[in-house]
Amino acid sequence: MANVIKLPVVPLPLPAAWNPPTSSGKSISPLVERRLLPAGPAYLAYVKRTVHNLTFEEHDKHTEDERKR
Amino acid sequence: MAPQPNGTAEAPIEVSAIPTVVGINFGNSYASIAEGSADCIANEDGERQIACAVSFHGEEVYIGNQAKHQLVKNAHNTITGFRNLLGKKFSEIPSDKLLVSAPVIEHPEQPDVPAYKVQVLQAAPTPLLKTATNTPAASNAATPRSEPTPAERIFTVSEVTTIFLKSLIQSAEDFLGKKVQGAVISIPAWFEDTQRAALEKAAEDAGVKVLQLLEEAGAVAVATASSPGLNQDRTQLVVDLGSSALELSLLSIRQGLAFSLATLSDPTVGGDAIDGKLIKHFAKEFTKKTKTPLTVSPATEAQDKRAEAKLRLAVEHTKRTLSASPGAATCSVESLKDGLDFTGTITRLRFDMEVRTVYDTVYARVKELAERANVDLYDIDEIVYVGGSASLPGLDETLSQGFQESVVTPFTAGTVFGGGVGDPTAILARGCAVQANLVAMLAEGTEEEREVKSAFASGSKWTQAKATSKTVGMLFPEENAEGLLGGQWVPAVLKDTPVPCRRTSRFDVDLGEGGGEKRVGFEVWEVKEGVKIENVKPPKDEDNVPPEEGEEEEEEEEIEVKEKTLEKDALLTSLVFAAKEAKKNGGRWTTAIDVQFVVDDQGGLEISAWEIGPSGRGEKTTVNVPAL
Ligand SMILES: Nc1ncnc2c1ncn2[C@@H]1O[C@H](COP(=O)(O)OP(=O)(O)OP(=O)(O)O)[C@@H](O)[C@H]1O
Ligand SMILES: [Mg+2]
Repeated sequence: MANVIKLPVVPLPLPAAWNPPTSSGKSISPLVERRLLPAGPAYLAYVKRTVHNLTFEEHDKHTEDERKR
Repeated sequence: MAPQPNGTAEAPIEVSAIPTVVGINFGNSYASIAEGSADCIANEDGERQIACAVSFHGEEVYIGNQAKHQLVKNAHNTITGFRNLLGKKFSEIPSDKLLVSAPVIEHPEQPDVPAYKVQVLQAAPTPLLKTATNTPAASNAATPRSEPTPAERIFTVSEVTTIFLKSLIQSAEDFLGKKVQGAVISIPAWFEDTQRAALEKAAEDAGVKVLQLLEEAGAVAVATASSPGLNQDRTQLVVDLGSSALELSLLSIRQGLAFSLATLSDPTVGGDAIDGKLIKHFAKEFTKKTKTPLTVSPATEAQDKRAEAKLRLAVEHTKRTLSASPGAATCSVESLKDGLDFTGTITRLRFDMEVRTVYDTVYARVKELAERANVDLYDIDEIVYVGGSASLPGLDETLSQGFQESVVTPFTAGTVFGGGVGDPTAILARGCAVQANLVAMLAEGTEEEREVKSAFASGSKWTQAKATSKTVGMLFPEENAEGLLGGQWVPAVLKDTPVPCRRTSRFDVDLGEGGGEKRVGFEVWEVKEGVKIENVKPPKDEDNVPPEEGEEEEEEEEIEVKEKTLEKDALLTSLVFAAKEAKKNGGRWTTAIDVQFVVDDQGGLEISAWEIGPSGRGEKTTVNVPAL
């Protein structure tokens, strides 16, 4: 299941004059190559998603179905 | 394409379908073994840290700590330090290695294979031990004799490893009352393919099915994955101080997914170096008390060498006492030299003084590692200690000076002793046991399932991943905000997060006092994180004794004050929606929201937000940031 993290922050009201800036069209900074440690349930989930070519939602459903069986 | 059903689904569910598997921490000096619930198993002598030593004494074979004790009187038939020689050719082993145990020789029949030659007493007519290599000893004697005969036996490094692992597994099976069906074994990061292959072969020869050879850092990541009270996204420093070396790794842990940011090792510090300082201290004390000269570490004379071996065995207990309790610890050796017994004591304060240089070296190396990874010590959230020597509180006291106050260590968490999650002597075996349970349960019915399983094999391509290089999050603008950001910053995807990734957070938003239409909105930014270092004069100490006449007033040393900084780097997009479920609480309107960030493997980012009403998530608002 999506791991929802409860945060203790409470952002204050938006300034009346704030208007949502339009998208800058920029992307995030370049990704870097890393070598994962092949261990633990998170790595297993990562591999399953990649091998089965699943989105997070599809993987959630898959896991849920498996759990029910 | 629909995912294939799990191949094991049709099989009837039986409890016995859960295989009995164990985790083995196989160090160069000590090994430990843990079972399903990840607790370490004691061998028949009640030990959880089992010395990697095999000793031949007449007709007996000792394994573990008993074998280590043979180093005093029977060193030539006692084999230690074999793990590090696995997979090596004889010609690759440095000959200047300090050898306190059976010397490593080139195998008489197998060229360039390292082996040990030991003297045994062979009970006739049955051979003492069945090994692959049969030396032309008396084992083939035709007529049975009542007296065992002296014989020479050759064991390769692999054979010794097999003997040792067999005994480990035997202890586990005796304890569990069940056959062990598989094991995950820890290996150091520097183990190469030949070493991995040699270990796997030695284990298989011992009848152990190897489920995975797991890098020590991986075992640590698994063992600490679910530490309560810690962020699931964090930077973890692993300090492994064993016997022969210091191994450091800096890990990025992201919801359990881990990779190494940098590693460093230093073979000049470790338990052996600590022992060296400690036995020197006690040798001096012995000389002072008895007027008998004794030079150790290094010792040159035969008598001193034997005394050194005795002291080295004895300080094992001294160190364990020192790390477990703040009081003084003793070191007792019967007939240390010239038939004279010795008992000495040392306080923790004195001990820490003696080994100060070891602690300081570890600290210097930690700083070097962080620098190499371009990480400030203040960015490290957690320190995990591994290895027996990391149980010493003085080490943690030395290191924690450089970290932020909130850094979590097993000492702050109170989990260093007792074999639990924070125990440096148990953590590797625990991690391996957890991993063994995971790997043993993997199905292999379909092509895809086999592919998934292969991801745990050495050198699997699935370990290659991409990770983010900057932190992305939400900025909630506010009126007259303090600081440079102009509002509340809520990080979502930290830098060094492997992709694809998803982060979902839930929190309340303050919507103000007034009625009318209310909106929730935030900007999505990439930020630059840093640490600001300022040198400030310490506050004047009121109770300071005024300097005495003639004494110069001490130059006040400035102290370093560190503070984490955040800078806006690039605006990506923004998201806004109308709040329909706001509730009034104490005169102010608030509402709860979920925000989800998903980064795909091409760097595309999708941000979705929902307001949470009485029946769960409401309408979804989504914005996208283009892929790279
Ligand atoms: N409680 C303790 N306090 C202090 N030192 C300890 C404690 N327990 C074990 N040691 C020391 O830790 C060392 C063994 O650590 P460990 O089992 O991690 O080594 P190893 O992994 O086999 O060796 P290495 O990693 O150096 O090859 C020994 O020097 C031992 O004396
Ligand atoms: Mg070690």
